[in-house]
Amino acid sequence: MDVKKLTSAPALFAAAGAFLVTGLLLAFLYAPIDASSMGFSQKIFYYHAPIAETALLAFGIAFVAAILYLRDPDPKWDRLGYVSVRLGLLFSLLVMATGMIWGKAAWDAWWAWEPRLTTFLIVCFLYAAYFVLRQVVEEESRRATFAAVFAIVAFIDVPITFFATRYMPEGLHPVVITAGDSGMEGSMFLSFMISMVGMTLLLVALLRVDVAAERLKDDIDDLKTRMGG
Amino acid sequence: MSIEEGAKFVAAAYAIILAVVIAYYALSARRVSALQRDVDLLRREVEKREAAGSGD
Repeated sequence: MDVKKLTSAPALFAAAGAFLVTGLLLAFLYAPIDASSMGFSQKIFYYHAPIAETALLAFGIAFVAAILYLRDPDPKWDRLGYVSVRLGLLFSLLVMATGMIWGKAAWDAWWAWEPRLTTFLIVCFLYAAYFVLRQVVEEESRRATFAAVFAIVAFIDVPITFFATRYMPEGLHPVVITAGDSGMEGSMFLSFMISMVGMTLLLVALLRVDVAAERLKDDIDDLKTRMGG
Repeated sequence: MSIEEGAKFVAAAYAIILAVVIAYYALSARRVSALQRDVDLLRREVEKREAAGSGD
């Protein structure tokens, strides 16, 4: 396998960049300023929401990889799960940061203990604990098994976070997209969807680079073992 | 909130996203290059040792 081609993933990064830049340009030049009290600060939405969806997607990939690892303990599933959780957590932290900025602009508060924010914070803590778990278990196959079980259990909070605003609407966080209704006008929805595609492509591109890096680390361990033996 | 006031928050949010994504990509790309270099070095060393071992 051509690792260099896999790791550079130039086509994916180029496509992600093109979609993200187009989404941003449309958000600022084509989509109107939100008529609600949020006003111009609503522009944060065009990257904030796609990053949030992508973070949850990354945790979903980790969940699937964990199931696949438990069925077939191939290190490639462990690598995919580990990298997915890392990227999911990175994207989650970005969601928290941009959400706090948006919250300050829209609600005049950096933080509110309301359902969506609280469940998302729990997601961050849960997946941060995933890395603690991996640090404390030394033996590789046990570490991978424990991490897989943990990733499955932690994923329980992901749908709770997603549906928190839908089933607990008393919170501050708005529900924009519901079944059968985009909740915004056409130009806004188009900008959002293009950013969404771009962010998903970015996740896939970063996943490929990071999975390749983890595989190279395993190759180094194998080569060192061969040299020692 | 005026557009000028909102723009400060919007700029801050997008700046954070851009900075984090670019930094993460740069670190990952550098890490992969370094690891690839190490793998190539080790592979050459292993091949050299195995060739020397079979020649004895």
